[in-house]
Amino acid sequence: MKYVSAFFAIAFGLLVLAGYFVPALEPLQALLISWAGILLAVASLIGVFNLITVHGEKIRSREKNSGYSSLLLVSLVLTFLLGLALGPSHPVMQGVVESVILPVEASLMAILSVTLLYAAIRLLRRRVDVMSVIFLLTVLAVLVWSLALPPYGELALFGNTLRPWLTQVLALGGARGILIGVALGALTTGLRVLLAFDRPYGGK
Amino acid sequence: MPINLDLITGAFAFFFTVLIFSYLLGDNPLFRIGSYIFVGVTAGYVASVAMWQVVYPRLIYPLVYGASTDKLLVFFPLLLAGFLFLKISPRTSHLGSPAMAYVVGVSAAVTVGGAVIGTILPQTWATINLFDMQTSQSWLDVIESAGNGIIILIALVATLSYFHFGARPTADGAPRRFVPIEWLAWLGRIFIAVTLGTLFAGVLLASLTALIERVSSLYLFISSFF
Repeated sequence: MKYVSAFFAIAFGLLVLAGYFVPALEPLQALLISWAGILLAVASLIGVFNLITVHGEKIRSREKNSGYSSLLLVSLVLTFLLGLALGPSHPVMQGVVESVILPVEASLMAILSVTLLYAAIRLLRRRVDVMSVIFLLTVLAVLVWSLALPPYGELALFGNTLRPWLTQVLALGGARGILIGVALGALTTGLRVLLAFDRPYGGK
Repeated sequence: MPINLDLITGAFAFFFTVLIFSYLLGDNPLFRIGSYIFVGVTAGYVASVAMWQVVYPRLIYPLVYGASTDKLLVFFPLLLAGFLFLKISPRTSHLGSPAMAYVVGVSAAVTVGGAVIGTILPQTWATINLFDMQTSQSWLDVIESAGNGIIILIALVATLSYFHFGARPTADGAPRRFVPIEWLAWLGRIFIAVTLGTLFAGVLLASLTALIERVSSLYLFISSFF
């Protein structure tokens, strides 16, 4: 089975890759990517089923805090059945999104501000070296230079000159280096998978 | 009496905001209730979206109502989807590997193509174009563009040098990087610190905006009763 798996990964992967360079293969590339999209949707359903199994097992074996698992299962099954019956764009489903998903996501984002401030203060107390000082000075500079004072608006020198220079020249160079570094890493990892040096789908 | 959907949505949003904000007092049952329900609702919603927008229109509908060519075209993904379901049981899990291999192979190819066409080439061209002086209208513009271009180029090379981990053994056996790379990597650390500081400030500003929006929504919901 491991040879079949490696053959599938290499053959279909190389066909999709060839589609980027050979225009005649573009329709085949689109078809293969579309099939992968279907399989990813099926994989997400399997993931949800796995979530149900894990929490169902917790409830069955009466583990500690299994009450929370019951809440999770009830909310999951109710939302799924409602979504299956009405469709995700139905006003009731949109109400579910606006009353649970969006407020919780926004609240978690809001809590992040407190967590980030706390982390910055901890960094200043625990690790004072050149890099952390540069990091925190940059944070302060961007925050303070973004301020618009009510009577004056943005301060001309900081808002129009120094902040853009810091974010669009100094930080841009670093960000570009990080992006290209990440892309080179992704390229190497992808090629290792396509040449079957790495087989994350199973088989050594 | 008609049900006011806005009021119900607002009440639930208020309730869940309070549950999540209780985390500011530390990990507690209220926060856990909110987060477990959130995970359940989100998973249920994602599953229903996957069913309605992908599985039904692209797999089930062509199979039941499609022409014979459509049925032929969905046969292969249907077969792989069946194998993928075998991943659920540990005993049949290995039979699902070809389907996983297909997804991984196609994803790896898309990643390689995306990395080259979507990141490496555009970012390299953007750096080269900084030295294109054709649009500059005065000598001052030329000096400014060239100065900024040189700084960005140095930052780019220094940052990439920081991620270069090739080293040679010294006389005492300890690994050591090539000296110019070592200097460039030190400079790269400064640019990385500035970049991460800018990103951190951006995320902090975005989360402060979310905090203001949530507190404002709590205030508006309470004040709507008075």
